[in-house]
Amino acid sequence: MPHDNDTNKSIPGQPKLELRHITKRFGKEGAGVLAVDDCSLSVENGEFVCVVGPSGCGKSTLMTVGAGLEDATEGDVLIDGEPAGPPGPRRSVVFQKFALFPSETVEQNIKFGLQMTGVPKSEQESRLVSQLRIMGLEHFRKAYPSELSGGMQQRVAIARALVMQPEILLMDEPFGALDAQTRTILQEEVQRLHREQHYTVLFITHSVEEAVYLGDRVVVMTKRPGRIKKEISLPRDVVWKTGDIEEAAEHPDFITARREIWSLVREEIMAP
Amino acid sequence: MDRLPGSKSFLVGIAAIGCWVIVWWWLTRSGGPVPTLYFPSPEDVWTKFVRMWTRPYIGSTLLEHILSSLYIVLFGWAVAAVVGIPLGIAMAWWKKLKWIVFPIFQIIRPVPPLAWIPLTILWLGIGDIARMSVVFIAALVPWLMNSMLAVYSVDKILIDAGKTLGANDRQILTRIVCRTALPTLVAAARMALGNAWSTLVAAEILAATAGLGYVAVNASQLLDTDVLLVAMFMIAILGIALTALISLTQRYLAPWSVTSVQRG
Amino acid sequence: MLERGLSRLGMVSNRSKSLFYGFLSLTSLMLIWFLSTSVFELIEPRVLPSPVAVVNQLIWIIEVPFSGLTLPGHILSSLERWGWGVFTAMVIGIPVGVLFAWTPWFKSLMNPVFELIHFIPPFAYIPLAVLWFGASTATQAMVVFVAAFPAFVINTQLGVSQVDKILVDAARVYGAGPFATLRRVVIPAAAPSIYTGLRIAISNGWMALVGAELVVGKVGLGFMISQGQENASVATIFVGVITIGWLGVMIDTIVQRSERYVLPWRKNVSLNSG
Repeated sequence: MPHDNDTNKSIPGQPKLELRHITKRFGKEGAGVLAVDDCSLSVENGEFVCVVGPSGCGKSTLMTVGAGLEDATEGDVLIDGEPAGPPGPRRSVVFQKFALFPSETVEQNIKFGLQMTGVPKSEQESRLVSQLRIMGLEHFRKAYPSELSGGMQQRVAIARALVMQPEILLMDEPFGALDAQTRTILQEEVQRLHREQHYTVLFITHSVEEAVYLGDRVVVMTKRPGRIKKEISLPRDVVWKTGDIEEAAEHPDFITARREIWSLVREEIMAP
Repeated sequence: MDRLPGSKSFLVGIAAIGCWVIVWWWLTRSGGPVPTLYFPSPEDVWTKFVRMWTRPYIGSTLLEHILSSLYIVLFGWAVAAVVGIPLGIAMAWWKKLKWIVFPIFQIIRPVPPLAWIPLTILWLGIGDIARMSVVFIAALVPWLMNSMLAVYSVDKILIDAGKTLGANDRQILTRIVCRTALPTLVAAARMALGNAWSTLVAAEILAATAGLGYVAVNASQLLDTDVLLVAMFMIAILGIALTALISLTQRYLAPWSVTSVQRG
Repeated sequence: MLERGLSRLGMVSNRSKSLFYGFLSLTSLMLIWFLSTSVFELIEPRVLPSPVAVVNQLIWIIEVPFSGLTLPGHILSSLERWGWGVFTAMVIGIPVGVLFAWTPWFKSLMNPVFELIHFIPPFAYIPLAVLWFGASTATQAMVVFVAAFPAFVINTQLGVSQVDKILVDAARVYGAGPFATLRRVVIPAAAPSIYTGLRIAISNGWMALVGAELVVGKVGLGFMISQGQENASVATIFVGVITIGWLGVMIDTIVQRSERYVLPWRKNVSLNSG
């Protein structure tokens, strides 16, 4: 299925999303907490970038700033080279805690953004139906979030983000609250979606394995205040990027990359 | 905690009530240890209850007294809702409004609503309006405070999610905040009605010409203990019924919250 | 603009801004009251006395008896009945709560009576109490008791049944009998909840007492405002209402503050009065 992203005019050499020298401080200068310190990061059109780092390193803050939900203390967020402005449907966000509206059914949740942005009714319906199919939610249209398992809830949240046909998809530890089995299945699902539809994704995680499996590029952050420690481009091996995660994890390149990134993260966790 | 399963605990409850009625009956039997002037027997209470439906007691039948009480409590409660809910939500939404209005409420809040009764009697007499105002004051504070808390209790992440999906401030307020806050508002409704009901009883004892509290205080002065007990039982039963009714509306107003409760 | 600039620089905190607005709104309210009564005399003093008249009345009845007692006298007699009622409710309510949590058959047996007490508003007991005890201290204490009792039972029961079973097991492993377990493990763990019950009981009791005094009695703050009504002295009612509210806040503050001394193992004192 062709997707809007493929038809988006992308300027060569111009990243889709760019975080330029982002610094985020909470509270007063000097006394407050410096969460993110001068982070620069860009995501090319159709690229899947994963950010890993120790807990509390400010990677979620970076995401919040990237989504426009918080203003950076210093620095700029750019989309196609222009200031990104307030949050909106160009950037969809998937939150760790799902953030589904408890008072709305699956259908209403997925349609929410379409209604807010004034998409015509008939198109709302067709987009909803295809998204329900893609995420395997056809039978849960009328269910309330509280009636679904965590994994199903996160599927709804992903569907709600994708149905907006966003230019950029921001995912903030989306599988952090799920059990291991559900997580594996959803990782494979997201991997498939990206492979088929070439979404531009910025993906925050604390799981090295997840980052190596999903990412085209992995950005390692230092512990607080969060800085960019290193960026690692992963070889796009056909076998590894199409197979299931079990299979991928046995690939020698996968093992090398995981080891390298894990040692970087461990350095940060163990650092005094 | 080992809890008894539903139907069994219901039977046990019935059995316990039965035990207590028997104890009551035994204590108040003719020639028993408790004189009926202080505590009438179950038969006396039942007879009076039946008779009060047809024969007026101090001016009205039992039904008329009940309707008078219900009319005033529901009216005061509803007006308090109309004022309290929008104001509470607005105070949570616009910080400045809260900073201005909240201190006034903080000053009024600790005064028991019924302490206003003498003032309302002086200002408004002993008519319906006086009692309605007292009920209004009693219900307003829970309405307002809980509407405010209901908005605060909406997870900030839902508002963030709304923003990223392109909702503007007004849409966030109406579609996300107000709807998500509904279950809390139902709880507020219950609390406000509880306060209103108990305050109304006090107001009717002090200044009324009808109503269950009025029946109770007159029965006490006329030493009609059986009538007094009828009034007290009716006050309890109506209080329970009204609260149960509000709990039922939650199923219709906020079905999602009910299912989530059932699934624990 | 200036304010926004300052707050962005972090120079004006939200707290001081809210205090500023609160001060502004309360002062203007007082000013409107003062101007409309004392200065422009828009409202008759019979309906709404000026703040000056209220303060004068307050000073007056601190020294000169009103309806039999001075203001401190009324306060003390109110506090006395209130204290007896709450104390009795505590002494009976806490053990009943523990029993409710630990002995299901006792709970099943007592529950109908308890629910009846719980669901009848305390004021509805006033006529019954009058009939039983006449216009005596016992009448008011009984009303305070029925208002305070359920709060103790419910919160004690809640606290005890929420005690982590692991703690009880641990105590047993180290050889504690039921009584020692209760004293060393269960009561301390349930104490915060019991304390919440105390706060609710205290404020419910206070409210019920005012109601009882309004209806019956010859002393107390509720009696004082009802006398204010009979004598058409709105100023006295105001003094009474303000005193009742102020005392309620004072008592609650003292209890709340004392929690950290009574329950030192509790780090965060929550203000949850649910």
